[in-house]
Amino acid sequence: MLGKLALAGIKNRRRDYLVLLAGLTMSAAIFYMFANLATNKAFIKANAVASSASLIFGFGAALLILITIVYIMYANSFLLSMRQHDYGLFMMLGAKRKRIGELVFLETLILGTVATAIGIALGLLMSKFLVGFLLDSLGLHLAHLASFYVPAIIATAVLYVGLFILASLFNLIHLTRTTVLKLLHSDEQANQTQVKPFRQAVAGVLGLVLLGIGYWALAAIKVLQTAAIPLALVTITLGTYLLFRATILMFIRSLRKTAWAKKHLNSFLLGQLNFRVHNYTRMLTIVSLLFAMALGAITVGSGYHRQLPMMAGNFGAYTIAVHDKTAQEQRLIDCLDIRHQATYTQKRQGKMVYYNAAELTKHPFEQLKMTTGDNVKTSYVTESIKKFQKTGPTDMDFLGLATNSQRMLTPKIVSASQFAKQSGKTTTVTTVRVKSLQRDTPTIKKLAKLERQRFSQPAEMTIGSYQSYEMMTGFFGGLEFMGYFLGIAFLAMLASCLMFKILSGAPGDQRRYRMLYKMGVRYQLMRSGIAKEIGILFLIPGIMGIIDVLFGLQMFKPLMQSPMSPYLGIGSTFAIFLGLYAIYYLITLVLYWRIVLPKTAVK
Amino acid sequence: MTTSNAVVSVAGLEKTYGKANERQYKALKDINFQVAKGEFVGIMGASGSGKTTLLNMLSTLDTPTKGDVIVNGHDVTKMRGNQLADFRAEEVGFIFQDFNLLESLTAEENIGLPLALKGTSSRVMDQAIHEVAETLSIADLLQKYPAELSGGQKQRVAAARAIVHHPSILMGDEPTGALDSTSARELLDLLTTINQKQAMSVLLVTHDPFSASFCQRILFIKDGQIGSELRRENQDRSAFYQEILNELGTFNE
Ligand SMILES: Nc1ncnc2c1ncn2[C@@H]1O[C@H](COP(=O)(O)OP(=O)(O)O)[C@@H](O)[C@H]1O
Ligand SMILES: [Mg+2]
Repeated sequence: MLGKLALAGIKNRRRDYLVLLAGLTMSAAIFYMFANLATNKAFIKANAVASSASLIFGFGAALLILITIVYIMYANSFLLSMRQHDYGLFMMLGAKRKRIGELVFLETLILGTVATAIGIALGLLMSKFLVGFLLDSLGLHLAHLASFYVPAIIATAVLYVGLFILASLFNLIHLTRTTVLKLLHSDEQANQTQVKPFRQAVAGVLGLVLLGIGYWALAAIKVLQTAAIPLALVTITLGTYLLFRATILMFIRSLRKTAWAKKHLNSFLLGQLNFRVHNYTRMLTIVSLLFAMALGAITVGSGYHRQLPMMAGNFGAYTIAVHDKTAQEQRLIDCLDIRHQATYTQKRQGKMVYYNAAELTKHPFEQLKMTTGDNVKTSYVTESIKKFQKTGPTDMDFLGLATNSQRMLTPKIVSASQFAKQSGKTTTVTTVRVKSLQRDTPTIKKLAKLERQRFSQPAEMTIGSYQSYEMMTGFFGGLEFMGYFLGIAFLAMLASCLMFKILSGAPGDQRRYRMLYKMGVRYQLMRSGIAKEIGILFLIPGIMGIIDVLFGLQMFKPLMQSPMSPYLGIGSTFAIFLGLYAIYYLITLVLYWRIVLPKTAVK
Repeated sequence: MTTSNAVVSVAGLEKTYGKANERQYKALKDINFQVAKGEFVGIMGASGSGKTTLLNMLSTLDTPTKGDVIVNGHDVTKMRGNQLADFRAEEVGFIFQDFNLLESLTAEENIGLPLALKGTSSRVMDQAIHEVAETLSIADLLQKYPAELSGGQKQRVAAARAIVHHPSILMGDEPTGALDSTSARELLDLLTTINQKQAMSVLLVTHDPFSASFCQRILFIKDGQIGSELRRENQDRSAFYQEILNELGTFNE
């Protein structure tokens, strides 16, 4: 009987349950996709330097698990908010607490298990299509990516079902411990917190100081090394929390005293916020941090993507070297926008390779010089042949011009007459340095491909900055992919956290808006009032998150040598991110309108 | 028989719940009555007799199936959308059994809401709030939140909110229903004061003879129809109370 009643209650709120189920499903799907990437050993090995890859993925996984826990916490509180009135009523009518506890436990667990199962299935599909699409659009090719991977399925299932068992236990304890009256009137209680100005001021200042320390720690990552990240995480979290507590409430209260507050629904809006912000503080803190992490991940990821070619100049003295160039290769070279080009004749004998000093005098070999320090400047210099005869044989780029499958050949620069007498296999090598690798990438790619076809052993090839660039792309590609992936996943989850938290308040607001409706408030006014209220709740963590990111990017400065910078071109990344965030806001708003606004006739 | 000084005029009002293809229930059948300006009228009937339904028709919270409702010269049945909201905001003051105060706002902000909706300046608003607070002796409660008030205090705040914008009629749907007898009596005395001092028309819906005895005229409603009518004339309240009890005895047979 009770079971039937409980089912009827769920039926009445089909739409809310669907939202909840959809959110949980998405979260499980995202987690599966990530677990699939992170645990798939074949995939990782094939794609990046193993140790750094597992580090990157491990870090990503820790963050994702963290946010998943937070996410399920909020989803669960949304579930609880929908149900506690019903269950309170059953108890008042004499249902046994034990029986109610069982029902709640089962309900939560069933919902969670169903969401996990659908989520994994969806994750399988998404791994197959979405991940490929994301990689394609980033211009990355990761090998050995299978969408079906049993350990990933197990990891997802264990984590989610485990978390839902915890959530079910929590609900069981909550419902069996709380008094019936509290359950029935849970959404009517206004917890008006006392404002103690002195304490608030102290908290505010302390918050600012902690934030300052956190931001400084991120900027000073070179000095603090690995201690910087945990230090920043703790201080920024605490600082944000204290600052929110101190300022938002004070700000709202001072606004309430103004004449502006006495217009239209403004007093109601401020009252609502005042009423909410206190128990939203923790939530807003978490969301703003997640917001920062998501945005940060995307920004850094796309930063590397966009800026790597700028770095390519630092990888070597020439962009590419072509051996015994063919007519076809010459045609391709003619297409390039060349800064410097030189062709040298080589004679290869055993472990040695001989160069003609006359040639090198006429076309000196360019060497890459980098200044050390924070602002790395690169320049290309040439030396007199006398000097080069000494330095050349130890220059990696010069050495790289002649290799066989085992090793680099030892270069020797000899006079023109000696060179003519020297026996050995004669080859030529043409070095090319282009103005902009970014612009000429397609052509150089073709050249590199031809070289690879002609010389079956890659080791026989030289390593120009283009090849280094390709290798780096492989490595940073993983990082970048993670950035996008985690960024989007975080955004999806944090925005749903906020959505669930806000929607949890909807049942209480339903009554409030019904009152306003009876008092003769126009629909339009109620609608815009809700839009403002929810907008502010979305805006606060958004702004705080952006500030966090702007400071947080300092952390990547040592990793990105100039002319790269973590701040370059972040505008478009921010715009895309905020666009997605805005979509979540709109979804929340529409759902809220539907739940809260009264239908025309009274019930 | 519409008289020019009627603030509420109801003619041939019917309300049927349920759609044409569903099970239908006729909650109001051919209701006709008027409330004169400044009159204190009670509508009395047992639970389920249609009182709330009637009040909802008058206050535009629900639409009649048939008939006319004219409030302060506005034909309520012809209004749509924003007109309805504006009508409620300007012409009607409402007191509910369950107070309907917004618990996120202080008493003062609750009372000021109808004025804020009109866009009244904050100076005028403060003045109006303090005037009405004096009248209802709640000046010392203004900074409190509803959660900090007793039932009687809440209902006085609700009454203040209902009259602060000088509506043409004050409607109460069992406003004493959730109050203890002392608070109920205080509220009814206040309603009488408001009615007399501010010449505000009051329409009180109740099932309780004691509450009804504060009215000048009582309409008895049963099964969605108005049966009989009692006038207080010059009797004192307790005599009128006795008369109501007698009437109920015969009315309910
Ligand atoms: N929305 C509705 N749908 C169907 N029937 C209703 C609805 N509201 C009220 N009724 C019925 O109309 C009758 C009058 O109800 P109501 O006006 O609330 O009575 P009162 O306020 O006098 O107790 C009751 O029988 C009730 O069941
Ligand atoms: Mg009623």
